[in-house]
Amino acid sequence: MKTPLSCWSRLRSLFVSFCILSALAMSRHAHAQVTVIANNSVSASELSSADLHDIFTGTTTSIKGLGDVAPVLLKAGTTHEDFLTRYIGKSDAAFRAGWRSLLFSGQSTMPRTFDSDAQVVEYVAHTRGAIGYIASSSPHPGAKTMAVR
Amino acid sequence: MTTQPESFVNRSRIMRITSALALLVPAAANLHAQSVDDINLQVHGYATQAFLYTNKNSWNGTDSNHGSASWTEAVVNLSVEPESKLHVGVQARYYLLGDYGNQISLDWAQLDYKVNSKLGFRVGKVKSPLGLLNETQDIDPAHLWALLPQSIYPIASRNSLLSHYGGIVYGTLPLGESLGKLEYAGYGGERILSGSDGFFQFLRDAGFTLPNGTNGPTFGASLIWHTPLRGLKVGATGEYDHENGEMDLAGMHGTLEDGPFRTPFFYGQYEKKRWMVGGEYQRIRLNSTTRFPGLPAFVNEVDARNFYVMTSYKASSKLAAGTYYSSTMNLKAPVSTSRFQKDWTVSARYDFNPYLYAKAEQHFINGTATGFNASDNPNLQPTTRMTILKLGVSF
Repeated sequence: MKTPLSCWSRLRSLFVSFCILSALAMSRHAHAQVTVIANNSVSASELSSADLHDIFTGTTTSIKGLGDVAPVLLKAGTTHEDFLTRYIGKSDAAFRAGWRSLLFSGQSTMPRTFDSDAQVVEYVAHTRGAIGYIASSSPHPGAKTMAVR
Repeated sequence: MTTQPESFVNRSRIMRITSALALLVPAAANLHAQSVDDINLQVHGYATQAFLYTNKNSWNGTDSNHGSASWTEAVVNLSVEPESKLHVGVQARYYLLGDYGNQISLDWAQLDYKVNSKLGFRVGKVKSPLGLLNETQDIDPAHLWALLPQSIYPIASRNSLLSHYGGIVYGTLPLGESLGKLEYAGYGGERILSGSDGFFQFLRDAGFTLPNGTNGPTFGASLIWHTPLRGLKVGATGEYDHENGEMDLAGMHGTLEDGPFRTPFFYGQYEKKRWMVGGEYQRIRLNSTTRFPGLPAFVNEVDARNFYVMTSYKASSKLAAGTYYSSTMNLKAPVSTSRFQKDWTVSARYDFNPYLYAKAEQHFINGTATGFNASDNPNLQPTTRMTILKLGVSF
């Protein structure tokens, strides 16, 4: 027969397990933080979140202080989702629908899209004006880090 | 004077543009011996299939009052970027909607040179930047709605309004952080209305035919102010048109002259987080003059006041819902249910994944001004309820 004490002990173990799992999940999320990178031809080392939003929604291709810029995307994954949530404020479906509007109305092509951080870094490092995003833990030789104000 | 059939004239025009682009694209690519990857060759497309049901009148000749699947569209888009500022693209469409379409047409085929964000040029068959939604009115994957407000974007006239032959100059001017940005576009060229366009349905119902449709000069300018309040934009467009064409009636040969006329649009949209609200007003005021030898000219006056208001909410990353009210009223038309149309619509969209989506929409329509032809509805009813289910895929 279960005593009130054993029930309480079971509840406490469940609570501790939940806290540990939550902490693990949060730490995993922390590892997926995003770094914005750019080709070395981009003159500035920082940009505003409003400018970043405009570049990645196709609203602009030229920013004062940065020059001509071209967005580079990750195809999917946690880093991509985090970037959209943090800087664009749209779901992946809404984000891609916005680009399709531009594409099918002849106002733009779809941005270059890559499967991995390494491919994004490789392209950004060798393409004038390219701006992309990768996980903060990924190395990015040849590309500069952009601070987002 | 001999005249070419409309389909021949349009085909010849399309052939000229596509041939020019077909020559231009490889030429631009070879200029620097670029690879397919270097020129950013992209092929995209989408396709939709709808099921329609109306409780009374048949809509746009689809026999929807018996349930109909005759609304199908498929689009292929090809584009290249030989240079970072140069974008060349072409888009073709298969379109079937009841009495309209069942053919492959050219949506647009253009060369776009963007000097910078403040100045760009497009030439070819270009989308007309008029109103809030004209440039995207054919892009089903971009909208929550299965059918845009018919008061301003009647689907049976979409091909005529969507694009024109000519050019556009466009850009966005920063006004400073406290004033936002000003997006502008000026355009001109030739607008062609097919003889099967929805605008001429009342003439076809009366037995007239327009073998070559109508065509004539079109000019316009559009200004959109992106206000400092992020997500809020307001704008206005003005367009000038003057179209002429030939028409036949029971063996008689005459002419149709629309305008000259000016069409103003005023619109606004606000997006914040999951919500969107928007609206648009348009006024079409023109005299449409029909002339047949030996008969007095007949003038049909139009003064249509059209508007809609809409709102939508994104419940999750996959599900969105919304409603709009759309109204059209031709003050010069005889008093009857065909001089107006009021449409309450509720709509929902579900995205299964980034490529596949479904839409469900219910219309509560009062009046028969748009989409309900007398020839398809001998016993035309004043009100209709319409259900649209649509499945779409894009890549």
